[in-house]
Amino acid sequence: MIRVQNLRKVFRVHQKKPGLAASMKSLFRREWIDKVAVAGADFEVREGEIVGLIGANGAGKTTLVKMLSGIIHPSSGEATVLGHVPWQREDNFRRQIALIMGQKASMWWDLPGADCFDLLREIYQIPPKQYRESLERLTTMLGIQGELNIQIRRLSLGERMKMELVAALLHSPRVVYLDEPTIGLDITAQRAVRDFLLEYRRENAPAMLLTSHYMEDIERLCKRIIIIREGAIVYDGSLKRVMQEYAPYKNLQVHLRRGSEPDRQVLEKMGKISRCDPGNICLQVSREKVPEVAAEILRLFPVIDLSIGDPEISDTIERIMAGRSGDSE
Amino acid sequence: MRSGSFFLHMISLEARKLMIYRVDFWVTMVVNMVAHLVVLWAIWNAIFAESNQQLIGGWDLQGILAYGVMVFLTGRIVRGGDLQMTIATEIYDGTLSRFLVYPRNYVFTKYAQQLGNVAPDLVQSLLMAMVAIPALGLSTTAFISPASLAMAVPSIMVAHLLFFLMSLPPQFVAFWADNVWSLSVLLRFVSMLLGGALLPLSLFPEPLQQLLSWLPFVYLYQFPTLVLLGKVGVIEWAMGIGSCLIWCVIVGWLAVPFWKRGNLQYTGVGI
Repeated sequence: MIRVQNLRKVFRVHQKKPGLAASMKSLFRREWIDKVAVAGADFEVREGEIVGLIGANGAGKTTLVKMLSGIIHPSSGEATVLGHVPWQREDNFRRQIALIMGQKASMWWDLPGADCFDLLREIYQIPPKQYRESLERLTTMLGIQGELNIQIRRLSLGERMKMELVAALLHSPRVVYLDEPTIGLDITAQRAVRDFLLEYRRENAPAMLLTSHYMEDIERLCKRIIIIREGAIVYDGSLKRVMQEYAPYKNLQVHLRRGSEPDRQVLEKMGKISRCDPGNICLQVSREKVPEVAAEILRLFPVIDLSIGDPEISDTIERIMAGRSGDSE
Repeated sequence: MRSGSFFLHMISLEARKLMIYRVDFWVTMVVNMVAHLVVLWAIWNAIFAESNQQLIGGWDLQGILAYGVMVFLTGRIVRGGDLQMTIATEIYDGTLSRFLVYPRNYVFTKYAQQLGNVAPDLVQSLLMAMVAIPALGLSTTAFISPASLAMAVPSIMVAHLLFFLMSLPPQFVAFWADNVWSLSVLLRFVSMLLGGALLPLSLFPEPLQQLLSWLPFVYLYQFPTLVLLGKVGVIEWAMGIGSCLIWCVIVGWLAVPFWKRGNLQYTGVGI
């Protein structure tokens, strides 16, 4: 459904030094720099798949989404979405996609949702019967039937986001781009949006590309993730595999009998010490050494409790985004 | 057919949006009309009293006051709610992005929006005309008849289209320059001055009048107003409408490369 090959986007950015003199100078002569936003992306997204696009601020996620939705033109490379080149903006392509921007309202601020949806029916040429059914189904799923006649600007942030979701999905798009759909929402609203997206995917099987800074969105919605760092894709694979590949260690938490003082020198030979207090040890140990180290700890120390667990996914992804190795050293 | 339905829907939506704010609707109307009428009446009374003449540039006092009022009212409709910065603003703040993902022509959508914005101006202009015309008194040089009114409607409509199309290239400059407020203000001032919105062009020097007759500005303000005041014959009117439409094609054609090149520059800031 989405096929991207060596897609690049370079922005030419005006650089202005601080101060009045620099402002005066910039009236006559400007300095420009090239900023690589996306540096040769390659990937595919299939029907029914939700792919999480993860990266720090400015990594190039949104630029990628903007190119794939046809808003901006790439500097080079190729992409097809449903067989169309997005930035050629053919009507047949635009009728089959939706873009939900968590940080930018797309509804008419001064009008109630019902009026906005009615206009969208005209924009997407949705047959009346399909429109009525779609609207009924989506508003019921999100529980906003009672808010349809209230001006958008008078709704809460969560309700507005729900309206945005209805507006974006009324025409049953086959490809959905979600740019931080839960940003700024409270926990209940975030959960409602996630549940809705999962249900929508189950019923309609669109291809979805999701960018979010909330790991819970990613963990809940995506089986596959793409991690972008400084415009380049550094990981494309399953969420499960990222742990094996980038976090090849486990955390060993050990509780010792009260007052027991563990020997640091012995522990340092077993793995990386995260914590070492009287009574508590936390070690990062290579996956293959875990059984051996656990046995050794049980033999050497007065252990009350020992637990073995994976590191947090968010920590691992954060390390990848920051360009740090995931090894336990 | 479907495009027509969308077009009408967009117009209706915009009109409804503006009518929501009733206080703004009535305050704008009353303040605008009172201020304009007082200034117009004071200036032209003083000029006629000072010159001791019955006619100036072919107009008597009531006629030129009627021109001043009508050019103000038709001008409000022609400018369509003064939306000429909307496109530039949408390029600047990235709101354009949401329209680019809709399967509709952006410029067509904006024109529908502009037409929708005319609705309150139209209602206000009609109400103002009903108050102002009896107050001005009868003129021997200008007279509104049912025929002139019927001829004025298409003249105003093509003038509205021309104004919209003329505002496109300066607004598309926002793709490169971000802030193009000055260009928009310049276009508004130049078009009003050279289009007869401030003074009838018959009061300008003859060579300038000749020059202005070759430019599109005259079709924005003076032409529809003179048609409304019964000062344009049928043949002259038909030729004026034709010329205005030719200018629409020329200006629209000039806007295309701005849009195409500008799109390559667009960065969609704000999302």
